[in-house]
Amino acid sequence: MKDLYLVYKNLTRKKMRLFLTSLAIFVAFLIFGAVTALQGALNSGIEMSADNRLVVVHKTNFTNPLPYAYVNKVQNIDGVHQVTHANWFGGYYQEPANQVITMAVDPDTYFDVYSELVVSPEQMAAWKANRAGVMVGERLAKVNNWKVGDQIPISSNIFSKKEGGHTWELKVEGIFGATDPQVDTGYMVFHYKYFMETQSWGGDNVGWLVLTTDDPAINEQVAKAIDETFANSQAETDTSTEKAFNKAFIEQIGNIGLIIFGVVFMAFFTILVVVGNTMVLAIRERTAEIAVLKTLGFSSPRIFRMILAESCLLSFLGGLLGLGAAYLAVDGASEFLARFLPNLVLDGSIALQALGYMLLLGLVTGIVPAISALRLNIISGFSKG
Amino acid sequence: MSIFSQSWAVIVMNIRSLPRRLWMSLAMVLASAVVVAVLLAFLAMAKGFEVTLQSAGAKDVAFFLRTGSAAELNSSVTRDQVNLIAEAPGIARSGNSPIVSPELYVIVDGIKKSSLTEANIPLRGLDPQGVELRQNFTLVAGRMFAPGTDELIVGEGILREFNGFDLGSEVRFGKYKWKVVGVFSTGGNVFESELWADAKVIQSLYNRGSTYQSVRAKLTPDADLEAIKAYLENDPRITQEVQTEEAYFAAQGKSLSYMAIFGRVISSVMAFGALAGALNTMYTSVADRAKEIATLRAIGFSHFSAFVGTMAEALVLALIGGIVGALSAFALFDGMNASTLGGSFTQVVFSFEMSPELVLQGVYLSLIIGFVSGFFPAWRAASVPVAVAFQGGR
Amino acid sequence: MTHENLFILKNLSKRFVKGKETISIFDGLDMTIPKGDFLAIMGPSGSGKTTLLNLLGGVDQPTGGEVIFDGERVDSLSESQLTKWRANNIGFIFQFYNLMPMLNAERNVELPLLLTNLSSKERMQRVHTALKLVGLEDRAKHMPSEMSGGQLQRVAIARAVVSDPKLLLCDEPTGDLDRQTADEILQMLQLLNRDFGKTIVMVTHDPAAARYASRTLHLDKGQFVEKEQLMEKSA
Repeated sequence: MKDLYLVYKNLTRKKMRLFLTSLAIFVAFLIFGAVTALQGALNSGIEMSADNRLVVVHKTNFTNPLPYAYVNKVQNIDGVHQVTHANWFGGYYQEPANQVITMAVDPDTYFDVYSELVVSPEQMAAWKANRAGVMVGERLAKVNNWKVGDQIPISSNIFSKKEGGHTWELKVEGIFGATDPQVDTGYMVFHYKYFMETQSWGGDNVGWLVLTTDDPAINEQVAKAIDETFANSQAETDTSTEKAFNKAFIEQIGNIGLIIFGVVFMAFFTILVVVGNTMVLAIRERTAEIAVLKTLGFSSPRIFRMILAESCLLSFLGGLLGLGAAYLAVDGASEFLARFLPNLVLDGSIALQALGYMLLLGLVTGIVPAISALRLNIISGFSKG
Repeated sequence: MSIFSQSWAVIVMNIRSLPRRLWMSLAMVLASAVVVAVLLAFLAMAKGFEVTLQSAGAKDVAFFLRTGSAAELNSSVTRDQVNLIAEAPGIARSGNSPIVSPELYVIVDGIKKSSLTEANIPLRGLDPQGVELRQNFTLVAGRMFAPGTDELIVGEGILREFNGFDLGSEVRFGKYKWKVVGVFSTGGNVFESELWADAKVIQSLYNRGSTYQSVRAKLTPDADLEAIKAYLENDPRITQEVQTEEAYFAAQGKSLSYMAIFGRVISSVMAFGALAGALNTMYTSVADRAKEIATLRAIGFSHFSAFVGTMAEALVLALIGGIVGALSAFALFDGMNASTLGGSFTQVVFSFEMSPELVLQGVYLSLIIGFVSGFFPAWRAASVPVAVAFQGGR
Repeated sequence: MTHENLFILKNLSKRFVKGKETISIFDGLDMTIPKGDFLAIMGPSGSGKTTLLNLLGGVDQPTGGEVIFDGERVDSLSESQLTKWRANNIGFIFQFYNLMPMLNAERNVELPLLLTNLSSKERMQRVHTALKLVGLEDRAKHMPSEMSGGQLQRVAIARAVVSDPKLLLCDEPTGDLDRQTADEILQMLQLLNRDFGKTIVMVTHDPAAARYASRTLHLDKGQFVEKEQLMEKSA
């Protein structure tokens, strides 16, 4: 396109303004990228949940335990493919602030139910064979720099050991990864039986049950059957799909999440409005020049395209840089925040969304002056100069 | 003409010419307003949360939790341990019996009004002595629960944010039904995000035997926390540690302090974006008035007055923005009810709190934006060559 | 088929509606511009000089009457046809030069050529020929802000002739220049008229400028005042 040079020259005619406007767009998209990634991280549990997985918790609240006997009872219900169970351990490493998500699970079934988790058969066998062994998620292992064979002391802020103290010495027998990078691997699991035998409270409770159904289509039916089985017992249950359970859990963070993201997105759009206003005015200033171009014989549609190209170029210039910076920021932060927010990534869908907004910004800010250029009466255009 | 009156003349002239640059000026006001509003929203949230928790803690109440547990949920105390703790030095007595309150903390589900999903609510088991330990406790409606019954009283915060807890209604948690017989207030602090019932009833319904989860004890005015700590450590039967209730809640209140940090980071990044917009505005303003400035300079106005004129314009615009931002943040967010997961894994209901001091912070921020965005363009204004006055309308 | 006359205006009328009033600029104006003419149009402000120039340049359209350019009616062309027609036939020279401030001299001159199918190499050749013609070859890379008024107007002339139009329309081309520079510019127009056969129509209120033209028409209240003088200039 021969006019590209003209577009480029128009864009760069005032270096200071170009810099400032790009900076504002840069900032807007930096914030957009980073905050959307953050939001995505909070919600990733919902997206990554399997269709045919159900979670069974105590009806009063999921922090209340269920009797161990429920495991077998649920396994015998029609449509249940595989049941496993877990207990919250309340783990931390060295200092209470250093939380390590740790669960006591059934080693024989846990990884069958969570089939998206990947472990080598050798490590799996070694872990099953060692009662005091622990299987560590890839991300968690990376954060703490744990290797297979390490002996790690994990303390609990809930349980005490029978022989005193709150610290369990566990040996890393394996490290599990996942089929998808968004799957959470920021936690670790160890043997339920070993946990029960070594902790001082005793009892034979499990925290919650997780099960797969034979077919996602019968989820509802199975959930109902389970809850009916335990109706009017000491511990009534509440069974929901993993997705619904995760969603409810995220929503506990509450409307402050909604408010924060609302505020930030409002801010994002306001920056766009401010920048857009500047861009529109910048082109308006050139009315007389546009009139000259028209007089010289440049057609209206051609000028229209030139203006749109200019505004889009500007929008993408700042926007892509901002998105790139957001990517770097999120990448840097994900290492740092892996402990709290395991799934912080700026993925393709966020980038695509950002590109969409860039295009929108470019078109909207270009279209106003472009249309007025299209309609510009050459004679009145001169009188403004 | 003095420097002052010169500058004043230029300021008046600039401000009079503002309508000519209406859209540009509005953009700057808007940019400044948004940055301030965002900052204040975050600060008000963090502040509201902190106040809600901090005001719950009393200085003269000792709070005992099992060593290593950060919150009541994870803690436990046996009946025997409660009795031992009651004998610690510095515990106030009423008549002959120590003022202690062993309490239970069970999490139950409630339906949140905002999302219509289940969320964790603490159901606290305590006895009348425990109720008395809460400053500012008042029954707003109904009556106190009767000991030994399935009656409970509900905090005002719960009533605001959750469905189904109206006075007189029946609520069901799992198998058990409870009757709401009263509504209480504790002056806006975190206890209002709780349900209260008789401790013994909860022990039996939730299979807690005779164990509790935490102990509160009234301290005598001359009590020494160190002495209590020593007492606890010297008795191997006691596995609890002590801190003042105030210290416990102060620590819990910090759990949303990352919000304030996040808010400051976001708004400073945004401030850069706003600065860019504001600088554009001011450069345009100087270009727009170049001829006027040059003419004044030709007549004999000083560099300084040209500088001050532009600076004042920037400060005025940014300040208007700051005030608009602060006012709209106040209107939108002050007193806004919110709830989130607190340190004890349960919902804390709190209100955004916009203090004058926060508003001042917003105004300062806007002045910084105004100063920076005014300085460089003002410099340019001061250095407009006088010859510009004589140039044609090219 | 060639025509002797470049422009024929027949019974031309032009009215503006301004609020409730209708202002009539021309009502039945007739005019003929032969090829190779260098015509100066003079007249007081408000006489319709600029409107006439706009009509000739296809920047404005008449309310009634016929405009025949080189044997073709152009008064009823659409906006986009007029745009094309302008690009092919008319070169404009303005009082305030109207150069693009962000483009250097050669890029400014190149503008009309962007509307042709010439390769960038051919375009640059023509640009340099045009700049040479106006004596600014060595200023090709200069920005408008680095040039004097006379130089700017010469760049503008180069831009007007670079696409080899049949007609040059000049609106007060020397209105912003001192006497000596103005004379240089007018001599240049004369040269274009005499040696390159360009037809030129120049609006001016400066009698000294009009003297460079081969004839002058006086416009007053939308009518040519019949004191047409043939200016025999001494070259």
